[in-house]
Amino acid sequence: MIDYKIKLTRPVKNILNDAWVWKMAWRDARHNFSRLFLFLAALVTGIAAVVALDSFNQSVQDDIENNAKELLGADLVLNSNKSFDSEIFSVIDTTQVAVAGEVELTSMVLFKNSGQTRLIRLLALQGDFPFYGELKTLPEDAYQKVKQGNFVILDETLATQYEVSSGDSVKIGNIYLPVAGVVTKIPGGGGLSATFAPTVYMSVANIQATGLIQFGSRVNYSIYIKTKDEKEAITLQKNLESIAKRYSYGFETVQGRKDGLGAGFESVYRFFSLLAIVALLLGCIGVASAVHIYAKEKREEVAILRCLGSTGWQAFSIYFIQIALLGIIGSMIGATVGVLIQQSIPYFLSEYLPVDAAWTVSWSSIWLGIVLGFVVSVLFSLLPLVNIRFVPPLAVLRTNQDFINRFSKLRLTAWMLIVLFPLLFTWWQTKNIWIAFAFISALLVVFLLLSGLAWILLKLLKKFFPSRASFAFRLGVSSLFRPNNQTQLLLVSIGMGAFLIATLNVVEESMLAQVEFAGNENQANTILFDIQPEQKEGVIQLMKDHQLPVLQVVPIVTCRIQSLKNIDAEKLLADTTDSIPSWAINREYRVTYRDTLTKAEKMVKGKIQFFNDTTQIAHVTISEGMHENLKLDIGDSLVFNVQGVPIQTIISGIRKVEWSNDPPNFIFVFPAGVLEQAPQIFVNTTKVIDDAKANVFQRELVTSYPNVSLVDLRLILGTIRQLFDKLGLVVRFLALFSIITGLIVLAGAVINSKYARLKENVLLRTLGARAAFINKITLVEYFYLGCLAASTGVCLSLLSGYLLTQFFFKISFAFNGMELGIILMIIVFLTMLIGWINLRNLLSTPPLQVLRKEN
Amino acid sequence: MTTEYVLEANHLTKTYASAETPLTVLDDVSFKVEKGEMISIIGPSGSGKTTLLGICAGLDVPTEGTLSLLNFKLNNMSEDDRAYLRNQSVGFVFQNFQLLPTLTALENVMVPMELRGAKNVKAKAIELLERVGLQNRLNHYPTQLSGGEQQRVAMARAFMNTPTILFADEPTGNLDEENASHITNLLFDINKEEKTTLVLVTHNLELANKTQRILKMKGGKLSEEIRNQSN
Repeated sequence: MIDYKIKLTRPVKNILNDAWVWKMAWRDARHNFSRLFLFLAALVTGIAAVVALDSFNQSVQDDIENNAKELLGADLVLNSNKSFDSEIFSVIDTTQVAVAGEVELTSMVLFKNSGQTRLIRLLALQGDFPFYGELKTLPEDAYQKVKQGNFVILDETLATQYEVSSGDSVKIGNIYLPVAGVVTKIPGGGGLSATFAPTVYMSVANIQATGLIQFGSRVNYSIYIKTKDEKEAITLQKNLESIAKRYSYGFETVQGRKDGLGAGFESVYRFFSLLAIVALLLGCIGVASAVHIYAKEKREEVAILRCLGSTGWQAFSIYFIQIALLGIIGSMIGATVGVLIQQSIPYFLSEYLPVDAAWTVSWSSIWLGIVLGFVVSVLFSLLPLVNIRFVPPLAVLRTNQDFINRFSKLRLTAWMLIVLFPLLFTWWQTKNIWIAFAFISALLVVFLLLSGLAWILLKLLKKFFPSRASFAFRLGVSSLFRPNNQTQLLLVSIGMGAFLIATLNVVEESMLAQVEFAGNENQANTILFDIQPEQKEGVIQLMKDHQLPVLQVVPIVTCRIQSLKNIDAEKLLADTTDSIPSWAINREYRVTYRDTLTKAEKMVKGKIQFFNDTTQIAHVTISEGMHENLKLDIGDSLVFNVQGVPIQTIISGIRKVEWSNDPPNFIFVFPAGVLEQAPQIFVNTTKVIDDAKANVFQRELVTSYPNVSLVDLRLILGTIRQLFDKLGLVVRFLALFSIITGLIVLAGAVINSKYARLKENVLLRTLGARAAFINKITLVEYFYLGCLAASTGVCLSLLSGYLLTQFFFKISFAFNGMELGIILMIIVFLTMLIGWINLRNLLSTPPLQVLRKEN
Repeated sequence: MTTEYVLEANHLTKTYASAETPLTVLDDVSFKVEKGEMISIIGPSGSGKTTLLGICAGLDVPTEGTLSLLNFKLNNMSEDDRAYLRNQSVGFVFQNFQLLPTLTALENVMVPMELRGAKNVKAKAIELLERVGLQNRLNHYPTQLSGGEQQRVAMARAFMNTPTILFADEPTGNLDEENASHITNLLFDINKEEKTTLVLVTHNLELANKTQRILKMKGGKLSEEIRNQSN
């Protein structure tokens, strides 16, 4: 035979110059858009989650940046928990700045029209507060009336709740004042505190007459200063610094408020963005899974093209172009959906946001979504699409000819990028490489655990499934082990969604359990505070008259730290190398005295020592945690300044305190016999069962003892529940993205195994099985799938919930079995629903059609 | 005058690795096909006919032996080079038609020439479809055509790039008698007109008898070669 040496010269075109590839991409796509629905759905869900959160964050950050002065209401604010010394005013008076004042305290209000009472935050304003932004009222002149004195205005929610309108009167402390209107907007907003205690505004001129400022009352004073410019604000702050330090006054600047709000929101955003990342990553799995199915479906067509002379790259490019272009379209849809969701977030959270972040559309977030969507669609479709390059043309002759598993640089690069992508994206989103590492590692661990659990459960199911179970059940279960069924992938992705939702539920329940004291037997649910010594017996009598048990009468003494381990507090404050936080040295401590532990306390180190007259040294106990802040241990000395009198003490014990349990609780507890003669106030606790009786009691209490405030812990619990419900709604909504993407992956896998199912169903129907029987088999299969996935996720959520509550939130672990059960059932139901919808399609295919195709 | 061979198979062997012993589906097969010749490969199921066709058309490579198609030694060529060669000079007709379902009849026929980068190919495609009697079905999709019509589209596509050699794998295997006869006539008529070399794999002896030479396969070996004097 002659050895032929003719060399073939094959022209090589790149993807952009190859018109045929683009033409084929379009021709093929005309009929395939519906097949790529899964790909689009997965991409849209992931991108929508990212864009919604990023866009929302941008809006809030922009608003904080643009309205920083309005948020503070001034250029500089001085705060104190005692009235300002004249020395501070002498410095301020040397400048040309405008000054306004504010006095804030907690009190009870009695609504004259209904006789109802409520704990409120009282703000007494002086001068032209706010200097920036506007305090909007209804009617518009209401604030002017308040400034002139003898009027109050209320938070809109409070007025609505108690049906108070202009002209009605309210009793605050000793005086009745008419209501001038309601506040619709205030610079900085009410924030979270307004949810617990809504605000009533009055003029400072009326504050003394209320009689609410007494010894021991918790009062905060603020001076609002408007300067010419920022420079003057900085100079003034410097000039005031030494006096402020001496009197423990605090400063608040525009930048400080901006940073504080930004940082506060940042952590919320970080949490939300982690949820969005999970949704996106599941979306990525969805994309990869959908393209995998698509590439598999295209195998025969690619083989024909290869037979007709197309190169592997040309075949690859046809589908790559489709995916890339559809990726851009999907990203655009995802970005649009994301923006729509972003618009709805403030609707749920507006009460807790300091700014109006509603309608700003962040173009940078939209671009981010589109670019990200393109990257995700290209990156995660590369691996399945690379296989197209290696479809052997021989597959036209032999249908069982599989993809050739050949080494490919593109495949290797795709693998590396896929591994790197989640890490880089999380890093970029959280702006913190360590959080990114930790998060991705945690996610990986969860994935591995879910995979491991899924594997074990499947093995157990296979091994222990009763062989004598009915035919339908056996067939349903065996379907789980069908080749290409992707059962394990499904278990992981649905399990991941279940895990996220259930974890959130466990954390929420644990948090609620911390404040769930109102229902416990013999535990107080109402606290009366600011009781003056001369009012003590009267209040106790009033409680008894209304058949309310007096559970506790706790004396409270206010004091400050004078020296710590024989070093003066001032010296400690000046020492910048000392790591004791200045707030811990500077703050006012509210202490009590007793020789016993309460139900909420447990001695973890040392013991209670009774006061010994001869030594004149009091042995005090300190709460766990605070001893670390103050760097104190058993035997360390501490001198307290109790209203000007120095009291020498030694730490004799460290108590573990469950703060939410049986309040009030204290950082320092003195032994009996030391502070009895010191100026003090009292706190009484009781348990209210009958609301009607309680209302009468509250009314009489406010009338007879106007300075005494009452906290209904059930009301607070209700508010916390509402808050959790609202936040939970947003969080669940985001976690829903994971579930949706999980279901998309499920739908993908169902479609992937469609042909195998079709053949099975047709065979069964040919052999005489009725539609109801086939329905039963499918429902059994998806029931098991849903059950295994959801129970894996829920079981794992108990572990993660436990770890999170113990080590991150540092609260007791609790969960609601009923709610977890409901989550489990919903997921099982959704899984079965998807399986059933897919089956309907299969049942409508005539058996003969399939049998003919087979022949 | 020297004989010009379009296809030369020398000691072709194809072995598949399997869990126990390797499976040899083609065992030392050698033959040559002259330009313009029409040959058929017959044999029972599992005799290695389709494997031989796949290797001859460059769809697969032999484990041993050499194959030359149109003077190109396929053993040394990459898959993409073989694809290019197929596009330039080879036509195919398959038992199950193998039309692209997302393309119309006309687009299916145009593909080989478009792939080559040729312009204005529509006229020739329409001409070929008219030749096979499908002038009214140009814009129909494969699912809208009957089996016989689909095979006629496949035939038009096979001749679109004016191939030097045409490989046909059971071209009438999925058709009824009437359609089979129509397709057979078309195949041989166009083949004669275009002077194309034909390699036909079939079970159908009647069809095989229409070719000039019949290669009989049995157990992966070429068991007999029959020259058909009447053609």
